[in-house]
Amino acid sequence: MSIMLLALLGGLFALDGTSVGQVMLSRPLVAGVLTGWVLGDPALGLMIGGILEIYFIAVFPVGGSDFPEGGPPALVAVATAAAVPEAGGIPAGIALGVLVGFVWSRVGFGSVQLLRRLNGRLVPDPSRREVSPTRIVWAHLAGMALDFARGTLLTAVGLSLGIWVARNLGQFWPLGLPGTLGLLGVGACLPAGAFVRSLGGWKRRALLFGVGFCGFLLGSALV
Amino acid sequence: MKTIGPLPLASAFARSFLIQGSWNFRTMLGGGFAFAMLPVLRRVYRDDAEGYQAALQRHAEHFNAHPYLVGIALGAACRMELEGKDSEEIARFKRAVRGPLGSLGDALVWVGWRPVTVLAALVLALTGVSPLLTVAFFLLMYNAGHLVLRAWSFWVGLEQGSQVGDSLRRVAFPLQANRLAAVGVFLLGGLIGLVAHQGWLLGGWAMTVLCGTGGVWGLWLGGLVGQRGWKWSIWGTSLAIGVILMFGWIG
Repeated sequence: MSIMLLALLGGLFALDGTSVGQVMLSRPLVAGVLTGWVLGDPALGLMIGGILEIYFIAVFPVGGSDFPEGGPPALVAVATAAAVPEAGGIPAGIALGVLVGFVWSRVGFGSVQLLRRLNGRLVPDPSRREVSPTRIVWAHLAGMALDFARGTLLTAVGLSLGIWVARNLGQFWPLGLPGTLGLLGVGACLPAGAFVRSLGGWKRRALLFGVGFCGFLLGSALV
Repeated sequence: MKTIGPLPLASAFARSFLIQGSWNFRTMLGGGFAFAMLPVLRRVYRDDAEGYQAALQRHAEHFNAHPYLVGIALGAACRMELEGKDSEEIARFKRAVRGPLGSLGDALVWVGWRPVTVLAALVLALTGVSPLLTVAFFLLMYNAGHLVLRAWSFWVGLEQGSQVGDSLRRVAFPLQANRLAAVGVFLLGGLIGLVAHQGWLLGGWAMTVLCGTGGVWGLWLGGLVGQRGWKWSIWGTSLAIGVILMFGWIG
């Protein structure tokens, strides 16, 4: 699969993030699995997408708040993981994929901010009486086209960087699968705790959390 | 009240899916709101060029709301324009609803519905369901709620116009959000339970105890720092990966 085709898929994920529909194709879980499926390894996509999803679970895109972009960075993360040479193995792919995904989620946020500033210049200013139907429609369509172009470019650059990182650093990752997943799992507990706070806090929700934890732990152990 | 037929209204509803297309820091959803109102305004002010210009101007002004609940304001604004309400009254209504529609939607969808459906999908994945089925489950479940909410919002706004507050009170969004929050915490606990079991199978007791201790500290710290915790975790984990990689490279 060429970088250009994957970059176009990244453009679609970027559009879904804010501009069009928000049907959640841009969630890391969905973008990860779809990218993995396109690259021939949906299980790897699920692993990377699922990890990114938990890290971003306490992020709420409220108004103009600071949030990591999900779709294109998840695509880049999965492609990075898939590009690690066999000598590095799956643990190296997961670690480097997640690392590149994190960095690219922040770069993605920066590009979204830039786009929003640009949109501010494109949309007609009601206080200057420059509003016309044509101006409204063109500014709106231009905003969406720019978002697609932004996502495509972001993905293309991220893919080039991610594949370079995977090929040149993949063989140096020293941890095995349990150690790699353990490290990422411990890191994911912090946003999980933040998420509980957003839902009422530990004092109010500890019992429900405990029931869920023990129930599923015992259930899976018995099954 | 003027009648314009169903097509312009259907077009306004369809355009509400694109309402954030030109989101910006100056007018926020203003441009998108005017874009969605265009088919209706064009019909309402067919023979009144000045009125058309004034209506475009007032709907392009600063506005913001949750994208799924913005249909309430959009539907109500369509009805008020059809009823020929005073421009100041329409502007006042939009100013009054933008805050509540934002905060209610954030609590119900971003903090409630989306995490619940994501966590349900991740639990499914950990029980062995295939990746594609997991994603299909998530997209179907999430969007069932999403589409119903969008359609209800536009319909209720269109039906009740500026009196839409009564409907919002009847639905009791905060109560629904609280229920979703409870389900979310339960599923999060379940997900971590499943991960702990699989971690034990994969890494044995020593790894489980080590990671479990770190995980408990992480959960506690996350509860302490709240929303900004995601930044700490992604930069902290990135740093840890970088340091481990450097040790691997050195030797």
